[in-house]
Amino acid sequence: MKPEVKMAVQAKGLVREYRRGAERIRALKGVDIAIAAGEFVGLTGHSGAGKTTFLNLAGLMDRPTEGKLTVLGHDVGKRGAGFDALRRKNIGFVFQEFYLMPTLTALENVLMPTMWGKARDMTEIGSAISDRVPSRKRARELLELVGLGKRMTHRPSELSGGEMQRVAVARALVNNPRLLLADEPTGNLDTVTRDGIFNLLLALNRDSGLTVIVATHDLSLESRFSRVIRLEDGNVV
Amino acid sequence: MQWFILGFKNLIRRPTRTILTVLGVAIAIAVLYSLFEFQQGYQSRLKGELGALGAHVMVVPKGCPYEAATIALHGGKWPRYMDENLLDKVKADPGVAEAAGVIMDAVFPPGGKSVIMLGIDTDYMKLRPAWKLRGSWFASDSSIILGSSVAEDSKLQPGDLWTLPEKNVTLRVSAVLGRTNTQDDGFVFMPRKTLQEISGLEGKLVLILIKAKKVDQTDALVASLKASEVDMNVFPLSELLGTISALMASTKVFVSAIILIAIILGGVGVLNTVLMAVFERTREIGMMKAMGGSRGDMFKLVWAETILTTVLGGLVGVGLAVVSSRLVEAAIRGMIPYAPKGSLIGFSLPTMLFCIGLSLLLGLLAGFYPAFRAASIKPIEAIKTE
Repeated sequence: MKPEVKMAVQAKGLVREYRRGAERIRALKGVDIAIAAGEFVGLTGHSGAGKTTFLNLAGLMDRPTEGKLTVLGHDVGKRGAGFDALRRKNIGFVFQEFYLMPTLTALENVLMPTMWGKARDMTEIGSAISDRVPSRKRARELLELVGLGKRMTHRPSELSGGEMQRVAVARALVNNPRLLLADEPTGNLDTVTRDGIFNLLLALNRDSGLTVIVATHDLSLESRFSRVIRLEDGNVV
Repeated sequence: MQWFILGFKNLIRRPTRTILTVLGVAIAIAVLYSLFEFQQGYQSRLKGELGALGAHVMVVPKGCPYEAATIALHGGKWPRYMDENLLDKVKADPGVAEAAGVIMDAVFPPGGKSVIMLGIDTDYMKLRPAWKLRGSWFASDSSIILGSSVAEDSKLQPGDLWTLPEKNVTLRVSAVLGRTNTQDDGFVFMPRKTLQEISGLEGKLVLILIKAKKVDQTDALVASLKASEVDMNVFPLSELLGTISALMASTKVFVSAIILIAIILGGVGVLNTVLMAVFERTREIGMMKAMGGSRGDMFKLVWAETILTTVLGGLVGVGLAVVSSRLVEAAIRGMIPYAPKGSLIGFSLPTMLFCIGLSLLLGLLAGFYPAFRAASIKPIEAIKTE
């Protein structure tokens, strides 16, 4: 049972600075952001505004240079052992470029996050096609949910862009995360497919209370978020 | 298990590269397997051939004793002889149980198969208690006994006439020797006196085979015979086995060193291939880490892939070695001065397991660095899109 938290992500004076040779680049310049559990938040701004940097920090893939960041009740500043497990169990990612494994079927791709860590139930890639194992059953249900019930055994090369992104969404959900981070999830899709994916994320938030943060520079989607956080040059505006 | 399944799926993404890498390991392992099997087969066959002589000590004329031994084992023509009277001296030694004097000659008809002849007497039979004759012992001085292979090739039966090529001498087959699976199968046996006359070597011998009364006193017998006569070479067959084996062992060390280098090169090839694959899949690995995969998970994944490659190479290598054993054997035979007859490279489980184990070790070593690199990939850098 995952403990309830009121705030999914809370950042105070968050700074992330990179070095590029001798140059120092401040991708985030001390932002304050609070996202409550169950929100459907849009993170907008132009390319280079700091959206991905924030998502990486919120997704525990990076550490802040300065400031305080709490994700699902965990202080990211105190990062140590166990963050892989925290990310695996609580955070789902959807990327603009899908990153599906080309040699695996849609079902196997969805199952991929269940094979990491000590808690894996050894069901996953290559095991018998059986619903006796919970993660496999869930993976099939998720593929049904995203409308790919009949495409489970297809490899990415046999799927369209929209279908691949649906697989990526199902993959992000397979471990029952509490926070879903999507970085330009519709950036590579046509308008119709984009709406389909967006509606899927919206439905997940609405039906299961999943906290969803979507980084996008597509201004036409802004009105559909419950809240929009606009970043510009590393600051919230 | 899923590491290996995922690893296998990654390997088949680039089949040509994988096949070439596997082949690199396979060839090195195949050569190693062949060498080990040849070494073992050689020793065991040599022991068998020496055992088939039914003697403990061999006496040959002065000259290279090992060349003489090779002639004694496989037959042939050696232009060195000793006096037949030496046989009586040898028989007189109290340590000798049986002694058989042998004269040997060979003819090499142009375009035909060589004929190796052994002139023997009943003493020789005492060293061959297992011989089974179809027919009878020499009925007269113009009788012969054919080795089973010679009889099969010439399609002759007891009672048939046999003509010695080049010499126009006709002799009658008195018996055909049952198959012994030794060098005897390829010989034509005749009374010693007959062969001496045919070859113009009256009163001469090529070798004397001696069975000691007490095997554990063979060394004393050799010393005694050496002291009694200076005009002959006396040596125990165990010494011959030891010397030839030592010669082979020294060759093995040299060849093993070359094979080891080939295996190391194969390992470097595997390392390079897997490392290249890790670099190509940086984003993919980053994504897997973003999905919760730990450093250890990535390490195991790449390690499993490398181990799969090398173990597959090991299996293919052993298979290649077994399939091409005749070819390899023929090539090795052409390079060494003396090789026993019969198949020398076979299928042995311990050698196979050793080779597979070595390929596993190769995978563990070659995969370590690429696995470490994969584990060190930072997801944020790998999947950077902004």
